[in-house]
Order: sequence, then structure tokens, then C-alpha cells
Amino acid sequence: MKAGVAANGLGVQFFFDRQNRVVTPALARLRRRGSDLWGIRDVTFSIGPGEGVALLGANGTGKSTLLRAVAGVLPADAGGVETRGRVAALLSIDAGLMPTLTGRENGRLLGVLAGLSRRQARRSLAGIQERTALGDEFDHPVSSYSQGMRARLGFAVADQIVPDVLLLDEVHEAIDHDSRALVEERARAILRGGGILIAAGHDHTLLERLCNRALLLRGGRIVEDDDFGAVRRAYVGDSARTEG
Amino acid sequence: MSTDATTSAHSTLRSRGRRVEAARGVDVLFALTESDLRARYGRGPWQLVKWLVDPFALVGIYLLLVIFILRRPGEAPGVSLACAVIPFQLVMMTVVNSLGAVQLRSSIIRNMAFDRVLIPVSSALTETVAFGASFVLFAMMMAVYGVRPTLSLFWLPLAIVVTLVFSIACAYVASLIGLWFSDLRPFVLSFVRAMFFLAPGLVAIRDIGGRAAELVKLNPLTGLFESYRSIVLRGEAPRAWQLAFPLAWAVVLLVVALPLYVREQVQFAKVVE
Repeated sequence: MKAGVAANGLGVQFFFDRQNRVVTPALARLRRRGSDLWGIRDVTFSIGPGEGVALLGANGTGKSTLLRAVAGVLPADAGGVETRGRVAALLSIDAGLMPTLTGRENGRLLGVLAGLSRRQARRSLAGIQERTALGDEFDHPVSSYSQGMRARLGFAVADQIVPDVLLLDEVHEAIDHDSRALVEERARAILRGGGILIAAGHDHTLLERLCNRALLLRGGRIVEDDDFGAVRRAYVGDSARTEG
Repeated sequence: MSTDATTSAHSTLRSRGRRVEAARGVDVLFALTESDLRARYGRGPWQLVKWLVDPFALVGIYLLLVIFILRRPGEAPGVSLACAVIPFQLVMMTVVNSLGAVQLRSSIIRNMAFDRVLIPVSSALTETVAFGASFVLFAMMMAVYGVRPTLSLFWLPLAIVVTLVFSIACAYVASLIGLWFSDLRPFVLSFVRAMFFLAPGLVAIRDIGGRAAELVKLNPLTGLFESYRSIVLRGEAPRAWQLAFPLAWAVVLLVVALPLYVREQVQFAKVVE
């Protein structure tokens, strides 16, 4: 199966109650008074096999929301997004890990949720322990891990499903040099194999090494879609104008 | 290929697809339950102690209450109380678990796409393990009060299934309340506790007189408690109403809550913190 990600008029909407707490649409209808906000709106793009795409933009412009919609974590409230291939997503520093569980228990749980059978998830644990170099810490609760250790474990667990589409949301920026090299190496291997990488972050040097294309987001909409260098220049120009 | 052969191939593929989906659902359910057990009850030999503390303590306290304060011990009060406390603990702990079940898994909900419809079922299954362990209390109380096991115990699996189905139905309602109205969690717990006392929890229904005995039957917990008393204490088959009432309540709760939950679960990643 050829990997692919295509969004057509994609929009994700958030509803808030009077205390500005996020509520579901059903509850928003029930409570009536409140407000709403489109996290992303009218987002249309298509990404083909072998493409690495960076999402650029200031904080709060919709990069994380877009990645979550592509991962299927957030529903499309307008338009739609179609993803072909197995998706691995690292969308936050905690990487989906439950702090009260050990590394091993998290590996087993997240492996199954990512699509492995329980037997496959159990078998993959030794490999995860080795790749993360966590040693005895693998059997300690994740709450005792550093951010780097969590990111390493999260990436190793996500990688065990041999993804066609890899989604990274600033997570790679939180990890140490060796682990970052590992993430880069795996991302390159996925791209070489005809997979897709979509990465959001503020470390442009790292993103440029992995992504040949970039999307610039502003106010939840895509305002530039071009090669990485051109979009980065537009973003830097944007920021300079805002600061000026 | 003929039309018949094509139809047959499609139906085989569909049935294989359903089998794969069902197997995947079972895997997800077990993985969620196993992780929930670890997160809620920890690891090692103390797990069993944690499961048994609540039912043993409750039966002990209620025994003191009915014998020395209410002075209505009735027939084999230890067994009678166990027949109410053990199934009630499953319902109560499932509600406690479900009220926070979505929030407990916020990290995976914000990061992964998976079937969140199974979360309340896994809450009920987690508490079923403790429920199973608390059957030790039945054995102990039967030995203490000299109640002999009879063939009616073969009815016990049916009563257990009905208790579990009722708990799962409550789990969907509690999960939605926990998510929509998190401020109401203490009230929900008080309400469930009150339901225990508005059912024949402390004294059996045959010891309640007049119109009250008919009214308490409307409480779904009444049927559950009395079915265990029929099977374990009196050595007889449960009456049809004892299992039918809680089952009917479960169906009503599921008909109302499940479609709502299914519609809301896609929005969970937006609202969990």
C-alpha cells in the first residue's frame, strides 16, 4: 500500500463553556451560552509517498491540531482527511505514556492500541527495552522518567508497528543528541521506503534536514505550501513584521 | 466468476473481517483492563489484600449495625450481608472507576486513535477481578454460619453475568457524567450509596413489611441482592423478577447512554486535560 495523506477543506472546531473550559459539541448545545473557535479551517493539501513535510507557524496557529486530525485523534468537524498506511504519532512529550505504569506495561498497552496483537506486543518488549537503553528503568513507573527517557520510549513503542506515516510534534526537540540521531535515522528510513513524515516544531535546522516541503499555518489556515526554504523565509519575514 | 461465487467470496471476506475486528476488540479490551488493574491496584501480593479490604470491612461494619444497633439480625446475617455487599461493590467500584476512566487515560486519548467505546467495559472488567476475589467472603461466611452449599450454586454464574451487565450499563452513564459534569462526581457516589440503603442491603426483603417491600423492588439493586440470597443463603433458584429487573434497567441505561457515548467518544481528545 502506498502511503498518502490528503486533507480537503479540513476543519476542527472547539467549543467552550462560560468558564472557558473546552466542552463537547453535545454539551455546548445543552449549555447554550459559550463560545467556539476553529483550531484549523479550510485546510487542503495532499502528501505523497516519500515526502517529508514540516509544519511551520507561531504557537497557537493550529500545527498540533492538524497533526492530531491526521492521526485520527481529533475528528474532522468540516471537510475530511484521508490517511493511507500505518500511522505512528508522537504528539506530545508524554507520548501517550501513562505515568503510573512502568515502561514495560506502557509498551504492552500502547503496542496493542497501535494495532499489534497482545502476543506481538509482548514479543516486541525486549526490542523496545534494548532500543531505548532504559535497562532496569524499563520496569520502573514512567512518572520517574526524565522527558528524554519518555520521548525515547514513546518513539520506540510507536516505531514497533513499522509505520508508513510518521507524525512528530516537537517531541524530537525534547530528546538528547543520540536519541535525536535515532529518530532522524528512522524518519529517513521511512521516507526512503516510500513513507511520509509530517513534523511540527521550531528547530528549523533539524526540520530542514528531514523535510523538503513545508506548510505555513496562520490562524488555523495554510497560507504557504512550498519547498522548505521558501516557506521558512516567508515565516521568518512574518515573524519579523509581527515583532516590528 | 459467476455472481453466486462473487457474493460468496464477499461474504467470506466480510465474515473474516468481522472475526479480525472482534479479535482486535478483545485485545484492546484486555490491554486496557490489564493496564487499569496496574494503575488502580498496583502490583504484587498486596493486590489481593486491597481487593478484599473493602468487602470485608463493609460486611464487618454492617454486621455490627444490624446485630447490635438495629437488632434485626435475621437469618445468617453474615451471609445475607455478603449477598448484598459483594454485588454492590462491583456496581459501586465500577461507577467510581468509570467516573474518572476517560481522564485517567487522557495521555493515550490525546495521542492515539483507538476504539474508546471499550473504556467503560474495561472499567467494569477491572473491578470484576476484585469482585471475583471477594467471593472468598461468601465461603467464609457460609462456613461461619453453617450454610451448606447446594446445587442452586449452579445459578450463580447467571447472577454474576446480570451483575456485570448492569455494572457495564452504569459504567457508560458514569463515564459520561464524569466527563460532562465532573463537579457532580461526589453527588453521583452519594447517590449510588443511597441506592444500597434504599434496597434490601442490610435486611433481606422478606424482613421488610408492607408496601415498602413492593416499592424497593423498583430499585435494580434489590433484584441483584435477593438473587444472591436465593442462591447462596436459601439454596434455591432465583425468582425471575430478581434477575429480570436489573437486566431491564441495564437495557434501559444502555439504550440511553451507549449511543450518546459513541457519539461523544470521538470528541474526547478535545476535552481531556
